[in-house]
Amino acid sequence: MLAPKSLQLGAQAIKGLSRVSHFSKFVAPATIPCVQDGELYSTTATSSADGGNEEKEKISVTFVDKDGEETQIKVPIGMSMLEAAHQNDIELEGACEGSLACSTCHVIVMDVEHYNKLEEPTDEENDMLDLAFGLTETSRLGCQVIAKPELDGLRLALPAATRNFAVDGFKPKPH
Amino acid sequence: MASKIMASTVRRTLPHIRPLSTAAGISIKGVKISGRPLYLDMQATSPVDPRVLDAMLPYFISQYGNPHSRTHLYGWESDQAVEAARAQVASLIHASPKEIIFTSGATESNNISVKGVMRFYNENKKHVITTQTEHKCVLDSCRHLQQQGFDVTYLPVKPDGLIDLNELRNSIRSDTGLVSVMAVNNEIGVIQPMEEIGRICMEFGVPFHTDAAQALGKIRVDVNKWNVSLMSLSGHKVYGPKGVGALYMRRRPRIRVEPQMNGGGQERGVRSGTVATPLVVGMGAACEIAMKEMEYDAKRVVKLKDRLLNGIRTRLDGVMVNGSMERRYAGNLNLSFAYVEGESLLMGLKEVAVSTGSACTSASLEPSYVLRALGVDDDMAHTSVRFGIGRFTTEEEVDKVVELTVNQVKKLREMSPLYEMVKEGIDYKSVQWAQH
Repeated sequence: MLAPKSLQLGAQAIKGLSRVSHFSKFVAPATIPCVQDGELYSTTATSSADGGNEEKEKISVTFVDKDGEETQIKVPIGMSMLEAAHQNDIELEGACEGSLACSTCHVIVMDVEHYNKLEEPTDEENDMLDLAFGLTETSRLGCQVIAKPELDGLRLALPAATRNFAVDGFKPKPH
Repeated sequence: MASKIMASTVRRTLPHIRPLSTAAGISIKGVKISGRPLYLDMQATSPVDPRVLDAMLPYFISQYGNPHSRTHLYGWESDQAVEAARAQVASLIHASPKEIIFTSGATESNNISVKGVMRFYNENKKHVITTQTEHKCVLDSCRHLQQQGFDVTYLPVKPDGLIDLNELRNSIRSDTGLVSVMAVNNEIGVIQPMEEIGRICMEFGVPFHTDAAQALGKIRVDVNKWNVSLMSLSGHKVYGPKGVGALYMRRRPRIRVEPQMNGGGQERGVRSGTVATPLVVGMGAACEIAMKEMEYDAKRVVKLKDRLLNGIRTRLDGVMVNGSMERRYAGNLNLSFAYVEGESLLMGLKEVAVSTGSACTSASLEPSYVLRALGVDDDMAHTSVRFGIGRFTTEEEVDKVVELTVNQVKKLREMSPLYEMVKEGIDYKSVQWAQH
């Protein structure tokens, strides 16, 4: 129980760090590169150059949207899926910005094995998941799925809509 | 002009309906009765306890806000009342308030449980186990699921109305998604072995749903001792208002359902729609009263039941009690009188409000499927009458019912050719009847 908690704390720390660097336009530390909108290419060039080091710090995650279109991105260890999606302009709404107060970052883990590798959702996460649109047995909140090495190759399906549904197709931008 | 308006107003305010009761008695649907019948049909519904009505009234007239209105006092006070009622219902079944969802009744709760659970887990789980003596809403939901490709096993019951635990164990498959067994049967009053069923379900990891509409407030209901994942509750069986019920959904381990009512996500997304504050407050008050008075009510009901049964048995023979005598809720007495047809007995007992079988099956002409499941012979299945005793039943009522029943049964038996044959020693079962 303690080990994953420390991982979470570490993740929070790293997240905070990256946010600060984003706003004040500091030179980002080498361990947390900002992935731009080149979805397919990202930082593969630099990672291969650095050899083993870069590979350990990023895992490959594929987002499948409701039309079946796949987007593969690299997610640094310790970053949540919600943040990774926002950085890569993937359409994952995060109305409460990862504070466990909504169900809009709902993702469906496509492989049961990967789902089992994730930690048990807390009661608070389960409460929010109960409200999610299109809930399945392998659903999780994207802001609570933190990248770790065992999840390499994770495939996440995006549900057709969220609880903040707008039938005219309006998609709120991440804030 | 003014006088014309006044005249028409006066005409409009005078009652146009012919009064129901006159000095000579009540006449309704072509039947004449000397007065309002004695109510012994507590399983069909129960009168609202005056204390419950007191709790409900303010929420109709002065505190009428929508509990989901978040911006003003009316909404906040309604929400507070709903949450207080939720806690009252939860404490009666030893659950947490977060696990209670308010619905429109036990039928809706049963629908959500059976169809909702199976549809949510339908990728891997295709099998449901239930019993043959369940309430119609559970059986109909199961039949509906069968139409959609699910498998349903309807467990038979032993002659005493209880299920065979070994049969249950043997019916569980790897793809069983739900076991649904009602706690107290509405027609015969038997109490199923809930703790043992819960243990079997826990062993196999199968969610356990129970329809506890008749059990709430009458026997001790404990969701943890019974290991239930889902429980349906009804307001109007515990001296609360009609039109409200609740669904208990376990949080650890979490059970999920596909909602049957879609909308704004009220009640944790399980049951969208404005929560009816007065009805919910009524159900909460009824549960609180039941918690305080359950023990006393139970003792009183047992005494009244003994009075009724002994009163009838000392004066009549050929009286059978349907269902187990040991594992039974005393307030439900289902009796079969040999050689007397149930419907004709009821027609003769116009001053007593009882029923044969359950209210929801009374429209069909077939004898109750619950009695058929007990293995009761066809001739006996038609003879059953269900007496329901409750919190407001008095000893005088019971004595009067005994008198009326005994007289009516004797009268009908005089007329019965079967009874004559039996008295002469002929075994009517061996007779070759001329017609069908």
